[in-house]
Amino acid sequence: MKLEINGKEYIAGRDVTVQKLMEEFKLDLKSTAVAVNKSIVPKSSYGDFVLRENDKIDVVTIAPGG
Amino acid sequence: MENNMKVNEDALKIGKYTFKSRLLIGTGKYPDFQTMKDAADVSGAEIITVAVRRIDFNAKENMLSYIDLNKYTLLPNTAGCYTAEDAVNTLRLARELDVFRTDLVKLEVIGDPKTLYPDNEELIKAAKILVKEGFTVMPYMLDDPVLAKKLEDAGCPVVMPLASPIGSGLGIRNPYNIKIIKETVSVPVIVDAGVGTASDACKTMELGVDGILINTAIAGAADPVGMAFAMKNAVEAGRLAFMSGRIPMKLYAQASTQMEGIVF
Repeated sequence: MKLEINGKEYIAGRDVTVQKLMEEFKLDLKSTAVAVNKSIVPKSSYGDFVLRENDKIDVVTIAPGG
Repeated sequence: MENNMKVNEDALKIGKYTFKSRLLIGTGKYPDFQTMKDAADVSGAEIITVAVRRIDFNAKENMLSYIDLNKYTLLPNTAGCYTAEDAVNTLRLARELDVFRTDLVKLEVIGDPKTLYPDNEELIKAAKILVKEGFTVMPYMLDDPVLAKKLEDAGCPVVMPLASPIGSGLGIRNPYNIKIIKETVSVPVIVDAGVGTASDACKTMELGVDGILINTAIAGAADPVGMAFAMKNAVEAGRLAFMSGRIPMKLYAQASTQMEGIVF
């Protein structure tokens, strides 16, 4: 299944959840947040949120800024 | 000693939050994270601004490992947002990050890439939505007293007029407007953007504003840590001078030494 993560193509298994994806990328849940197709996914929904073909996922964190 | 206490007991209140330091600093443009950390430490700032961006999976260093979350309140900004919708969505996303331990947010809605001046209509629109959603909104705005009042009425517990354009280092271009803003609103006024060096910070505080947010002037200095310390002292000196009441300006001299008892 083709996904787009932070603007880059990524091939994931079928029915992968946000939770599973976060584990695959070894991402710290406390310092990251996720949006799928520009809609925010609350952390409590990561386990239930099943990703679909061509979903665009944004994983954000803090960055330098004024 | 007594004057030190005056500064120490003089708290900055933003909504339900209280801070001792009147200097807020940004984290952008530092040569490296260690310098950012050292500058933040010597500045005495308690609030530091950060952006919310896509994670870089190839990053060698994690910015967070340089920030003590028990010491600093992280303030997410909406830099780069040109519409109320984008700014609101950025902060909704930020709310999902556990590193933001308060509902304080810095709202900026840019209207023009060259000046980075805000878009007033979008700013007010975004502020209203965010206030409704429970955020404590700190809006970056033009040095316009009418706008300041509108943002106060929209529920912002602080207003943050610019001194001059972001990153310009031009210092305070319209001190009279800043003074009028201070007299117009009853919420604190934090001057955000444009300060170039310590004397700018000091003069700004002498106007009676409640705080200053500085990024480029510190991060871009030849020695950011030295400049951070200079800014800390300038903000404190300016505040204390304001509270102590400067002498009125006179056109002619007035002798400091008494004439009584003069011999020749």
